[in-house]
Order: sequence, then C-alpha cells, then structure tokens
Amino acid sequence: MEFRDSPWAQLDKDVSQCRLALITTGGVHLRSQPPFNMADPAGDPTFREIPADASLSNLIITHNYYDHFDADKDINIVLPIERVFDLKQAGDIRGINHRHFSFMGHIMHHHIDTLIKETAPQVATELKSDKVDIAILTPA
Amino acid sequence: MGLIQRSIEDIGIATISISLSKEITGKVRPPRAVFFGSRLGRPISYPHQVSRQISVLRLLLKYLEEIRTPGTIIDIDPTVVDNGMDPSPASK
Repeated sequence: MEFRDSPWAQLDKDVSQCRLALITTGGVHLRSQPPFNMADPAGDPTFREIPADASLSNLIITHNYYDHFDADKDINIVLPIERVFDLKQAGDIRGINHRHFSFMGHIMHHHIDTLIKETAPQVATELKSDKVDIAILTPA
Repeated sequence: MGLIQRSIEDIGIATISISLSKEITGKVRPPRAVFFGSRLGRPISYPHQVSRQISVLRLLLKYLEEIRTPGTIIDIDPTVVDNGMDPSPASK
C-alpha cells in the first residue's frame, strides 16, 4: 500500500507537558486475553488493550512471524511499558496514559481493510478520548 | 504499523514510529519516523539494557518535537544510540 501524502497533527506544546501512549505491532497481550489468531495466514487485525501498570510477568507475545526470543526475556524492547515510567520520573513527559494498545503486525489481504476502516480508527478514538497528546509506535 | 500510525495522527494525536525498513516506511508515509538500523524483533535495543532503551525513547521524543515536515524519515547512525550521544541525524 502506497500513499502520496502524510497526515499531520501539529504538536502545540512541549513533549515534557504531554501525555504519552504506546502502540506496538509486536503481538503483545495479557496472559488473560485471547491470543492473536495465528491460524489465519492473513493475520489478525484486532487489538489488545494493555494496562499501563501491567507487570511484565502478565504479558506474553503471540506472533509467529518474527523471532521474539529476545523480547520474551524483556518485553520492553518491543513495548517499552516500564521505560516510559523512567521517562516520566525524569520529567521527559508529563504523564503516561492508563492504557497502551497492541496489534499483531502481520496483516494482509482483506484484513488490511478491517485495520484501516475499523480497528485502527477505533484505537485512535480511544486514545483521543483518553486525552493522549503523543504516541510512540513500535514495530517488531 | 504505518497504517495504524496514520489513523492516530488523523484524529489529531502527534505520532512517531521506529522504522525497520526505510523502503516500506517511505511507501506508507507515516508523519514522523526514525530509522537507526533496528533489527526485526528488537526495535528498542536489547533485553535489559535499560539506559540504551531510554536513549532510544528520548531520541524519538526529540524528533517528535523537531520534525516539521510530514512524511519525514530521520536516518540515524546506529552508533549514536550505542554511545548515548546527541543523536544528530545522518541524513533525512
């Protein structure tokens, strides 16, 4: 999929005054949540909500399309859920949203339409309702 | 991932992402991206390298503020992140 232009939201305050949310496509989810669907070769366009205070021991990765051997040891390398608290403590950002979001990054064919028209806009709406100012997106 | 980023930016939230492929990012054209040679499965450094992980995030925040042109991909020398130095871009 190819685009000729980019959307743009002007950042009208310092990052140090912003509330941050994380979005990953690394297939991270809570152990208590349903895993991403690995049986569909076109992927899974759904998302999982990750509480900002989730402990690493409660998180797991379901994603067969990249080697997550290292991320299994420290999920911060795909979803830096602990590191953002370090940023807040150091004053780099004002706040952390109470939830982050996780997708599975292997989305193909008809699921791309679902992602563009349904699930990605749904996450965007949720983040907006949370009054999130900035978002960092990490692939895997 | 760029498609998700575009949706979030579309609603009025400023976004930045790590690019694993300049070619793919260049096609999807998210508003702001940084490429510094991350490998698949390790976008934010290595396990338990806390200071390096923080350096990567600070680099992203820096460019979130500094990028003014939609569709910019900042190309960073990976050794800058390794050394925790001020991340001047190798090219844009």
